[in-house]
Amino acid sequence: MSTNNPEHLTIPIGPQHPALKEPGHFELVVDGEIVQRASVRLGYAHRGIEKAVESRNWVQNLYLLERICGICSHIHATAYCLGVEKLADVEVPPRAQTIRVLIAELERIHSHLLWLGVAAHEAGFDTLFMYSWRDRETIMDVLEQLTGNRVNYSANVLGGVKFDIEPELAETIQQGLDFLEKRTRHYLNVVTTDNLFVQRTRGIGVMSFEQATALGVTGPTARASGFEQDLRVILPYGSYRDFAITPVVETAGDLAARFVVRVKELLITYDYIRTLLDNLPDGDLTTRFPRRIKPGETIVRVEAPRGELFYFIKSNGTDQPERIKVRTPTLCNMASIIHLAIGLHLADVPMLLIGIDPCFSCNDRAISIRGDQEEWSWSKLRQFAFEHYGQAR
Amino acid sequence: MLTAELREQLEHFVTDWETPEDNRLDARVEAINLLAAIKVLHDVNWGYLAAITGLDLGDHLEVLYHFCRAEKTLTLRAHTADGVPSVCHLVPYASVFERELMEMFGVEVYGTPDPSRLFLPDDWPEDSYPLRKDATL
Repeated sequence: MSTNNPEHLTIPIGPQHPALKEPGHFELVVDGEIVQRASVRLGYAHRGIEKAVESRNWVQNLYLLERICGICSHIHATAYCLGVEKLADVEVPPRAQTIRVLIAELERIHSHLLWLGVAAHEAGFDTLFMYSWRDRETIMDVLEQLTGNRVNYSANVLGGVKFDIEPELAETIQQGLDFLEKRTRHYLNVVTTDNLFVQRTRGIGVMSFEQATALGVTGPTARASGFEQDLRVILPYGSYRDFAITPVVETAGDLAARFVVRVKELLITYDYIRTLLDNLPDGDLTTRFPRRIKPGETIVRVEAPRGELFYFIKSNGTDQPERIKVRTPTLCNMASIIHLAIGLHLADVPMLLIGIDPCFSCNDRAISIRGDQEEWSWSKLRQFAFEHYGQAR
Repeated sequence: MLTAELREQLEHFVTDWETPEDNRLDARVEAINLLAAIKVLHDVNWGYLAAITGLDLGDHLEVLYHFCRAEKTLTLRAHTADGVPSVCHLVPYASVFERELMEMFGVEVYGTPDPSRLFLPDDWPEDSYPLRKDATL
């Protein structure tokens, strides 16, 4: 991205940068402190998973797709299972459906608490970062106790789940939720009343309802702008059909609203998990599942922690899928950054970016808006590196 | 799923309707009518473009435009011989979907504002489209 104005300075950030937690490349054109133009290029963590699924069988793909994301891994596996089970006409036992949703909500808790910490860190509020990550360990311990893993729990199998919630574990979860509820009420108080923190969030990166719908944003980012879209409500799946969940909607549309939506969602999630634990149906965890699946197509839309996760699955009668298309929520939300960054102070941009809770690996796809500047190919960069360090080969 | 009025408007461009599942409607359109059909949806603000899926059906490619509104999904399906028109002037955020479609399937998207690569490395061969069935990696 070039600019003719000598007052303008282009600041390249990333893909490898101490301030970035995941690889991404951002270019900001600034006039003094004010951002005039912004561009983002992702793709540095693209792994070709959509191609890889076509040469693996339905069971192997469950494990592959779960590894699209290290934070919201379970929701990927759930979306895939829901679709494949629909194609195979297999009804999953009610207890398994409930445990699936329960784990998805546990995942939402640790994802939102992780985000709260990262966001607080970006605001320079490292105390909140340390506390929220400490509290997150409560859920990580529960997940480890339940599944043996802290991330990529592999709780789903086609036709059910692997792990049961024993009464002792249910008791541990209840205690954990009581602790987290107290903490989360405190955090809600902090993010809405702490003067220094509010100065970093209130009125910054405001996205109106009209902008939110035009830019196609989804999840908590959309709900902070008054766009009431939550697939757990509008298209309930699993136990969301039996027990309704209340969506959290705010109308201010600024960064503060995005904090409030996610923190309030945590409180709703605690209540929801308690409801599930009190109403866990009896019965089997799994059911028989065919190895080959008759030809068909299906679409699955589920609510991941970051918004709508979209799966298109096509089967061709064999034990391998014909095509699986994944559209993750960060893709929808990333476009809003480029629009909202303009006019902001440079120092507010990291906060704005973190406001959508971006997940680069999950998504790895985005926009490159570059002008006439020469782009360096990988081979050219390698060559340059070898020459620079005197090892040209 | 669609109002009678909207369905009638789309009827001009749709050659075949199908209801594969609850809450889903598939409409087959000619690639040449794709833009007109999407304009109809855009004019009444019907849903948002959730994804564009490419399919390699062996002898031809098919492009699927998934529009979602609340619990409903309307999919416009078009066979492509020589590409599809860009929808970015109606749906600006479609740019990333179109770029992915171009590099992964080699579908020409006419008039897309940014035809550059999205995921593939800069030194990926020009004529290799990884999500086509004949591409072996």
